[in-house]
Amino acid sequence: MPKKAAEKKTCGNCRYHNTYEYPDTVFCFAKFSNRENPVISIFNSCDEWEDKLQECYCLEEALAKRGKKPK
Amino acid sequence: MVEREDFLNTPVVHMKLNSNMTVDQLIQQFKKSGSFGAGRLASACDAYEDMVRDKDCTVFLALAGAMVPAGLRTTIADLMRKRLIDALVSTGANMVHDLIEALGGHHYQGSWFVDDYLLYKYHIYRIYDVFVPEEDFVKADETLIKMFEEIATKTDSKPMSTNELMSEVGKRLKDPNSIVRSAYESKVPIFLPAMRDSEFAYIHRVHQKRSPPGKGLLVDAFKEVPELLDITSRSERLGMVVLGGGVPRNSVQHAALMTGKGLDYAVIFTTDRPEPGGLSGSTIEETISWGKVKQKANKVMVIGDALISFPLMTASVLERLGPGFHRKGNP
Repeated sequence: MPKKAAEKKTCGNCRYHNTYEYPDTVFCFAKFSNRENPVISIFNSCDEWEDKLQECYCLEEALAKRGKKPK
Repeated sequence: MVEREDFLNTPVVHMKLNSNMTVDQLIQQFKKSGSFGAGRLASACDAYEDMVRDKDCTVFLALAGAMVPAGLRTTIADLMRKRLIDALVSTGANMVHDLIEALGGHHYQGSWFVDDYLLYKYHIYRIYDVFVPEEDFVKADETLIKMFEEIATKTDSKPMSTNELMSEVGKRLKDPNSIVRSAYESKVPIFLPAMRDSEFAYIHRVHQKRSPPGKGLLVDAFKEVPELLDITSRSERLGMVVLGGGVPRNSVQHAALMTGKGLDYAVIFTTDRPEPGGLSGSTIEETISWGKVKQKANKVMVIGDALISFPLMTASVLERLGPGFHRKGNP
């Protein structure tokens, strides 16, 4: 995974994420608790973003998948 | 006084196996051996047959350990429909796993020999050699949280027992293979004495966060006690089949004790040992000392993997009962 992408704030590396449709969408329980739409793209992010509590392949695999798509 | 020949009454008959024998025929060979786990399993089949043929016996199933993820879900749902189980006392987790499948999720055959950190990074959970993808949990959580909201509105947030909650959930399911759905259709109560020790705790927590203050679903952990006691007090006789043990086993035993009756039948499948003092490994004799099982009860403890022994017992007894056997529910 390119370093810049990994360091970028995204839902796929935020502590609030759970996988929903792996690896493309995540389920955000913080949003769900606030009655907002909880199913969001792994590349999104918001002000509630929190780092580091999850180590997973979501973002890496979503990036790889996006890279493979024809333009 | 016991004479010497009293010890030498019944010879071991060596098992004779053939290529087309049925499950019950195999169990009959186990009975002729009468030894070790084979003998105990054969005794368990006899005790369960007696239990379900006893028209006045209420049959409890106490369910602990990950039996539902590993494949016993449909078996238990079917037994409820046939009323070969009159009441279920379970861990919360087993019902969560039932609901995961009822709401479209799956459990997968995996391996115990796996890199668990790799599973963690892929959002996959492991139960020995069964895998569950995180998204199946999440999707079930999402649906159940919304269902809790609907139930809270309907009940005006009045305290419910775990049994009342499971009935409301079962009403809203369609999957005929679901234990919770089958229980609702068959009017078999489900008690979850340790409900909060499962994903239900997280589901309730998120539901609570989404609800206005004082408007959430309220489950009263003690409300099921009089409901259980009502069943044991109205029952002529009491029987229990235990898979694992733990809180579900003791909830049944304790209800039998609290109504001053004690269990008339007890079949326990466990791998636990009595020496460390835990309930799951405690012998039935130990349970007799508390008055929870009658001294003259038809009882047996089978030491071994319940996922093997329980289906064998069930298949054997179903074969004995035949397809036309009908049992009314108790009490």
